[in-house]
Amino acid sequence: MSAAEKPLTGADTQWPRWEVLKKDSERKPHQAVGSVHAADAVHALLMARTVFARRPAAVSMWVAPAASIHAFTAEELTQVPAHSEAEGGELSRYLVVVKSTNRRSMTFGDLKGEVEASSVRAALDLALELAGEEPVLALWLVEAGSVVRSEPDDADPWFGPAQDKTYKQQSVYSSRATASKDAAEGVPR
Amino acid sequence: MAEQHMAANSAPTEASAEEARLAAFQARIDAGEKIEPGDWMPSEYRRQLIRMISQHAHSEWVGMLPEGEWIASAPSLRRKLILIAKVQDEAGHGQYLYHAAETLGATREEMVDALLEGRAKYSSVFNYPTLNWADVGMIGWLVDGAAIKNQVMLAGASYGPYSRAMVRICAEETFHHKQGQEMIRRYAQGTPQQRQMAQDALDRWWWPAMMMLGPHDSDSPNTPQLKRWGVKIKTNDEVRQEFLDEHAPELIEAGLKIPDPDLRFDEASGHWVHGPIDWDEFWNVVKGNGPCNAERLAARRQAHDDGRWVREAMAAHAARQAPPASARAPRTGASA
Repeated sequence: MSAAEKPLTGADTQWPRWEVLKKDSERKPHQAVGSVHAADAVHALLMARTVFARRPAAVSMWVAPAASIHAFTAEELTQVPAHSEAEGGELSRYLVVVKSTNRRSMTFGDLKGEVEASSVRAALDLALELAGEEPVLALWLVEAGSVVRSEPDDADPWFGPAQDKTYKQQSVYSSRATASKDAAEGVPR
Repeated sequence: MAEQHMAANSAPTEASAEEARLAAFQARIDAGEKIEPGDWMPSEYRRQLIRMISQHAHSEWVGMLPEGEWIASAPSLRRKLILIAKVQDEAGHGQYLYHAAETLGATREEMVDALLEGRAKYSSVFNYPTLNWADVGMIGWLVDGAAIKNQVMLAGASYGPYSRAMVRICAEETFHHKQGQEMIRRYAQGTPQQRQMAQDALDRWWWPAMMMLGPHDSDSPNTPQLKRWGVKIKTNDEVRQEFLDEHAPELIEAGLKIPDPDLRFDEASGHWVHGPIDWDEFWNVVKGNGPCNAERLAARRQAHDDGRWVREAMAAHAARQAPPASARAPRTGASA
């Protein structure tokens, strides 16, 4: 039986998808780490923390509903039609996330900054300008108004506890030699 | 002939356009580019990836069950904290992988339904029982050890979201492997009873761990195409050899006896050689007849049903928020 044939109940219907941006340290940009499904914004932020911050290296976390993200593939970026200055209406702000490398990584792309434009098309030009000389292999424009962010005060209670959970770090486990020594000394098992 | 050619005019053009796209796609892969969501890809590339990634996600989720059973019986607070963190990681790893499969057009609902209805496959190794506490350590050392070999390989996969999930998982899972290795090494040097417990766990988990890396290359018809597409970088037998070369000497050094009478080190090749694998047992477990297949699915279904009231409450809460404002309701005030 496919999902389409099943009667959908509220409880088993897939919740909307939210993309997660995590900042590992003050020196690093927010980076797109993956997504979560959530019923609302607070739920999305809590899920993001549980899924993407079980280990240290987080100072801030943002979530954005997938529907508020305008994504451009490498191919689309090579075929952008010229836009007329006349189009568009009110100014909107967009976060610019750029994938600039094919190197092995656990993140899709980095936050490059914010642009303000009267249309997505106009925002794209500004975003490409913002990326500068860097290769742009894929790009997101995220409607800034729909982004939900952890507060600076959240950082400690949210991300602090992981610092003490050293047993999650592979480096705390004995090498071969010290395992024997620990055993000989009766280190508690 | 000329008329026929005229009549079928559009078909060859489409076919050659398709060939050109395939060639361009292969060129991207050969150049080491990552394929990203939204990029053009052959439908078979998409289908194979959804199959692999969703099975991988299911394995993470079902993988919580054999070890989760032991949380309440952990012999010390330290071991309990480690085990809770490990099981929690497996839940997170399932989330990364379901997300990666969703970028290819699969929905979470379809994937979860397929698992709960028994239509989906997951790693055969999780259909074996955990009979003593040392099994928890042996799973970490062998099952996570084998999984890491496979996942390090897949971290080089050509599909960006799968590769990224693997990089993140490997970084976390190395702790799973190390804690198991540490636990078993200590038991192997402990009291006679502890040594027996460790050996007993090895006797039961060795072959399931060897099997979990999949059928021999001669029985893996998808592998050549998956290698051309850069989805797999190595074959099942290559990954199994890496696992064997690392783990056989370590287990022997720990003082344990590997339950394979034909196991030997081959000086000429510099590799360990194992005896025949019982593939009848493997396929029997894959087909649903392993010791715990029914129990594992029943536990997943029960977890899904037990969580229903939470999902209903979340949905009711979300519905009560004003829809357009819901996305920015409580904490949007200060933007960094």
